[in-house]
Amino acid sequence: MELSRRAALQAGAATAAAWLAGGCRSDSGGPRRPAGPPRRGGTLRIGAFGRAASVVRDPHGTQTNESDYLVLSLLYDTLTAPGPGGVAPRLASRWTASPDLRSWRLELAEGARFHDGSPVTSADVVFSLRRLRQSAIGRSRLPGIEVDGIRADGPRSVVVESAYPNSDLPVVLRLTTFVVKDGTTDPAGAPGTGPFRLEWFRDGNARLVRNDDWYLGPPLLDAVEVQMFEQPEAMLNAVLTGQIDLASNVGPTAGRAGEGRSGLQVLRRPDDMALPVVMRTSDGPFADPRVREAFRLTPDRRGMVEQALSGYGAVGNDILGTADPLYARDLPQRGQDLRRADRLLTAAGFDRGRSYPLVTSDDVPGLAESATLFAHEMRKAGVRLEVVKQDSSTFLGQSKGKAPLYTSYWGTNDSLTFSATKLLLSTASSNEADWRDPEFDAAYRDAVSTADPARHREALRRMQQIEHDRSGYLLWGTADGVDVARDTVQDLPTLPGYGRVQLERTWLSG
Amino acid sequence: MAERVSARPPAAVLGRAVLWRAGLLVLRRAGLLLVLLAAVFLLVDLLPGDAARSTLDANASAGEVAARRARLGLDRPWFERFAHWLGGLCTGDLGVSARGRPVWEVVGPHLPNTLLLGGIVLALTAVAALGLGGLAVLRPGGRLDRAIDSGATVLLALPEFVLGTGLVVVFAFYSDLLPAVTTTSTGGGVHDAGMLVLPALALALPQIGWNTRIVRTALTEQLRAPHVDAAVLDGLPRRRVLLHHLLPGAVPPIATGLATSAGLVLGGAVTVETLFNYPGLGSVLTDALQNRDGPTVAGVVALAGLIITSTLVPADLLGRWARRFA
Repeated sequence: MELSRRAALQAGAATAAAWLAGGCRSDSGGPRRPAGPPRRGGTLRIGAFGRAASVVRDPHGTQTNESDYLVLSLLYDTLTAPGPGGVAPRLASRWTASPDLRSWRLELAEGARFHDGSPVTSADVVFSLRRLRQSAIGRSRLPGIEVDGIRADGPRSVVVESAYPNSDLPVVLRLTTFVVKDGTTDPAGAPGTGPFRLEWFRDGNARLVRNDDWYLGPPLLDAVEVQMFEQPEAMLNAVLTGQIDLASNVGPTAGRAGEGRSGLQVLRRPDDMALPVVMRTSDGPFADPRVREAFRLTPDRRGMVEQALSGYGAVGNDILGTADPLYARDLPQRGQDLRRADRLLTAAGFDRGRSYPLVTSDDVPGLAESATLFAHEMRKAGVRLEVVKQDSSTFLGQSKGKAPLYTSYWGTNDSLTFSATKLLLSTASSNEADWRDPEFDAAYRDAVSTADPARHREALRRMQQIEHDRSGYLLWGTADGVDVARDTVQDLPTLPGYGRVQLERTWLSG
Repeated sequence: MAERVSARPPAAVLGRAVLWRAGLLVLRRAGLLLVLLAAVFLLVDLLPGDAARSTLDANASAGEVAARRARLGLDRPWFERFAHWLGGLCTGDLGVSARGRPVWEVVGPHLPNTLLLGGIVLALTAVAALGLGGLAVLRPGGRLDRAIDSGATVLLALPEFVLGTGLVVVFAFYSDLLPAVTTTSTGGGVHDAGMLVLPALALALPQIGWNTRIVRTALTEQLRAPHVDAAVLDGLPRRRVLLHHLLPGAVPPIATGLATSAGLVLGGAVTVETLFNYPGLGSVLTDALQNRDGPTVAGVVALAGLIITSTLVPADLLGRWARRFA
């Protein structure tokens, strides 16, 4: 309690500082678009979140620091990568599936070389994928893929076998399939193939320089310097005073403080973080679908986005994977209907005489605020919720996947099937609401076992309808990723989540 | 008093006595540190959640968490893990962090930064507190005395983050004289010396307030002592009175005050490091606690304990020495 009050005071003081410093607000904030083509050169200084004792340098390790993931993504390449319309080629330039969609053949990009000059071969890719699969989190990073199912097919292509038909295998490969050289034993600083070479790395901070031989064309920046920050206040101060050029993912509070300030731009990357309320479906007070429906009908979603996220977000429709190109925008938006909520709660015999704990944490910006707001909103239906805030470890150990009612967060929203495998299927690695729905599972299987786009689309649509109607999720909104940058930084990444690390087309105009 | 001074033992005996006392003090503090370290392991163990859970993906499966628990040895009782860690400590090995890096590699780069900042803060505190406290007692109850006293009270009451934020606003935002945050250089150290100024001030000012009051009180009390009166009446020079009659009696409380400040500075560093992004031990400690990373927490506590002990023991000895002359 003491700690959180202290943190709140600190945040308040920092915001006040930013406000006090706002002497030079201009009407025309936002990027200053220069005339002429992109320019080469310059060093981009980026602030990214990270904590000293959590630094992980292994590309196949568990990176909780955004700074670590950023450095790794500049230094190493994944096989595929998040793209505007789904997945984009990276180290794999093309891929084809067998008719049963169980076996995928990936061809390596022409001219791909490691930073020490040696060409990338299928042996390197096989070694790296197997290393990832054997890591502590390999089973959830490469679902349905076994070590033996990864093999070379000649020097320039690799075959990956899936235990079940999976039309979305390229999606599975887009995040941490970093490729190192065959036989690498010490992964810290081992040569990569990425757009930047590592000059130095110390204690979470790093400097990388342009890889002129990058197979997708040399990047524009001469160098990228990554500075690790623990708190948004300090990162905001650094970008306000020009000590860094880009405060990456600094969050909505800092975004507000940077808005309209001369020399700065505030960038929003939609669908960055889903912030659902999770209701346990298998037992307890929320097992009755009518109760869950009543909860979904109660909050003022727009109001929550405005208040918990300072407006940097979008209203959700209780479906995860909002940035998927096939997200069902035509499903009717669920809104507030207090009379129906009341009827449903009465019909379900929900006890409104007692209060129910709503567990939350401070893990992502706006999460704890959203819990408080949600509890407030639920009083409109006569439901009393008591917000219980836990620190990260306590939350992960005691509440996630266990508590009857809690706020969760999910930073990968570019794929409906990805969300299904992680959170929604009966076999999901992290089935947060303990939800098991055979019809949903069947719809998922239909979606991933067909190569026919129309059938794929139809099955995805069915999945979303079921999820919308009766899952354990109440997705009131998704938060934008908010970056604050100097207005001389051009063509910054616009993708949510892990897409924010793609800096090869970014350049400096001044 | 005069009898005790004349009955002073010969230098050799005195030297041995001081060594003996220092040895005892160090032993006692080492024992205390050992108990503290055991308590750290126990407390981290008692906290909800564990290192296996905290160092994996949030969506890791139960099986993956269990496998990692076994790998980190979390299935063994805490005292077994503590004994194992302590065994390593005897050979100078701080163990392995929950993320699989040697603890020394995690903590090591931060130690010099903390020592540098802490050293600057304590030196600044000592000089300013002695100077201001001395100035204040020149004319007890005078205008300067009252100004220093109220100034010191305000300073010691200011929370570090309020002070730090104020400093950032004035010196980084409005006047652009000093950098707002610390960035690191290739060596992992502080990029330029100017970055030390604001964190050092944010930490030192409250300590200066607190220690100035201690110095002022201690000197005022000594002023009232009969032997000082006698010295003044004897017509001894002011300088001699201050150095030989006033100060020795005032040293024990002043030394204790400064030693206490050393602990407080380490504590306040957590807040100040966060605010200024200063790469010190405080940030490692908070992060390690959040990760339920027992060996890393214990590593930081061991080093911090060593630092505090090495300031407390001399302060203690200095106090005893001064009492001898009082």
